[in-house]
Amino acid sequence: MDIIKTQDVLYEYIRRDDEGEVTGITTALDHISLGIKKGDFIAILGRNGSGKSTLAKHFNAILTPEEGTVWVDGNDTSDEDKIWDIRQTAGMVFQNPDNQIIGQVVEEDVGFGPENMGVPTEEIWKRVEESLKAVGMYEYRKHSPNKLSGGQKQRVSIAGVLAMKPKCIVLDEPTAMLDPKGRREVIDAARELNKKEGVTVILITHYMEEVINADRVFVMDGGKIVMQGTPKQIFSLVDELKALRLDVPQVTLLAWELKKKGLNLPEGILTVEELVEGISRCR
Amino acid sequence: MLKDITLGQYYQTESVIHRLDPRVKLLGTILYFVSLFLFNNPVGYAIATIFLATVIIMSRVPFSFMIRGMRTIVILMLITVLINLFVTQGDVVLSFWKLKITKQGIILAVQLALRITLLIIGSSIMTLTTTPNHLTDGLEKGLRFLKVIKVPVHEIAMMMSISLRFIPILLEETDRIMKAQLARGADLESGNLFKRIKAMVPILVPLFISAFRRAGDLANAMEARCYHGGEGRTKMKPLKYKSRDAIAYLILAAYMVVSIYLGRLSLFKIM
Repeated sequence: MDIIKTQDVLYEYIRRDDEGEVTGITTALDHISLGIKKGDFIAILGRNGSGKSTLAKHFNAILTPEEGTVWVDGNDTSDEDKIWDIRQTAGMVFQNPDNQIIGQVVEEDVGFGPENMGVPTEEIWKRVEESLKAVGMYEYRKHSPNKLSGGQKQRVSIAGVLAMKPKCIVLDEPTAMLDPKGRREVIDAARELNKKEGVTVILITHYMEEVINADRVFVMDGGKIVMQGTPKQIFSLVDELKALRLDVPQVTLLAWELKKKGLNLPEGILTVEELVEGISRCR
Repeated sequence: MLKDITLGQYYQTESVIHRLDPRVKLLGTILYFVSLFLFNNPVGYAIATIFLATVIIMSRVPFSFMIRGMRTIVILMLITVLINLFVTQGDVVLSFWKLKITKQGIILAVQLALRITLLIIGSSIMTLTTTPNHLTDGLEKGLRFLKVIKVPVHEIAMMMSISLRFIPILLEETDRIMKAQLARGADLESGNLFKRIKAMVPILVPLFISAFRRAGDLANAMEARCYHGGEGRTKMKPLKYKSRDAIAYLILAAYMVVSIYLGRLSLFKIM
């Protein structure tokens, strides 16, 4: 069964002037239909303004579609009574690490979600410990979030979502404000959760390198899904990606250029190892 | 330059006072304030001072650390003392030019100085030994009875703790904006007061915009984590009274009884 399913979702941002007259309409989501399988690692790619963050906000009912339906674990997101169930099922990590940490101590922040859900005290402590261990931040549990690095803050945010025991975690550009080291920390933590805990991960990003290990990739542009498939399938379409102004991982680009020049390489090379193997086979 | 500002200056150490329930400390501080105005005789002041000194020693916060908070208030205190010294009517002790110092004036000034000092140190004990978090928890639980008259106690406590969390972030942001404006040639330090206030506008506008944006983000993040007010919420660190809190309440009660008794004694009355 699909953990998240959308059917013909339409969402528009309407701009108004001071008198309330409509001055412009931006269609952020243009009839999006997709299904996400339980336990998958999904990546949603797209440049700024492609609608990917708007889509993410539909996955846990922060936004509800104007037309069409979003189902999270079988619940319709426009059903007001189910809203807390939905938010518990699909946890969300946002872009800015500073703007989503509520607690003044790491462990208190992780406990915030379970507190809101009315989980008994002893159970909260258990969950906080497990979640912090899962993202490798347990040693920092007594620290102030202000003293942590960006990557560490994002891992705390992930732990905060994890403590709510979600079936699915939506990461909305969690690495956009981080340095390369922090980016790797966060992506590794997300991948770990997907593998070990079987949590469905939906990663929204514009960094191609983070997409390579996904089970399935959706590429968005202008509010529509323009491509979908495995990373290998997507990255073999270098021309199309370039037309969408998306960067292709360096290795893939190199392999593609080499192939254009006549080298007999397989399609969709994603890692250095694959390229090395491909080139050594050429002789 | 903005990093020097510390708010709710908590002093981290292990002591009985630190471990006390914040509600005890809150009520204790309030009662102590009340007690300071109950008496006006030397014995009363002596007891209040001894009581405070005992608490300070028990809290293991270095006395020098407490005095630091006094510095800013010294000027205010001097003004109050001087005004009382010269304005109070009564038996003249010393007079020069147009100023007269009276016996009553001296007594009143000394009393005021003592009172203010005890008040400030007394209140700083609470902030020094209680983490801001603990304090808001204490307020939330201690003032729960106000819910009956529709005071949104939980919401107020939540707002307090969020503001405390964002103070360092916004300070950092201000620093960054200031540097950015300085790099663009903004002149923040010369000119008269009016000019300098005007120069703050290009700093405050981006700061406010960013603060609002942060607030929006935070609201989203809180909702995403199922925050829906205090209803049905459990606590990760619930406040529970321990035996030491009961003992502290007893000591407080004893102190209050002594203060009230002394306040009524006219035996030692000065005026």
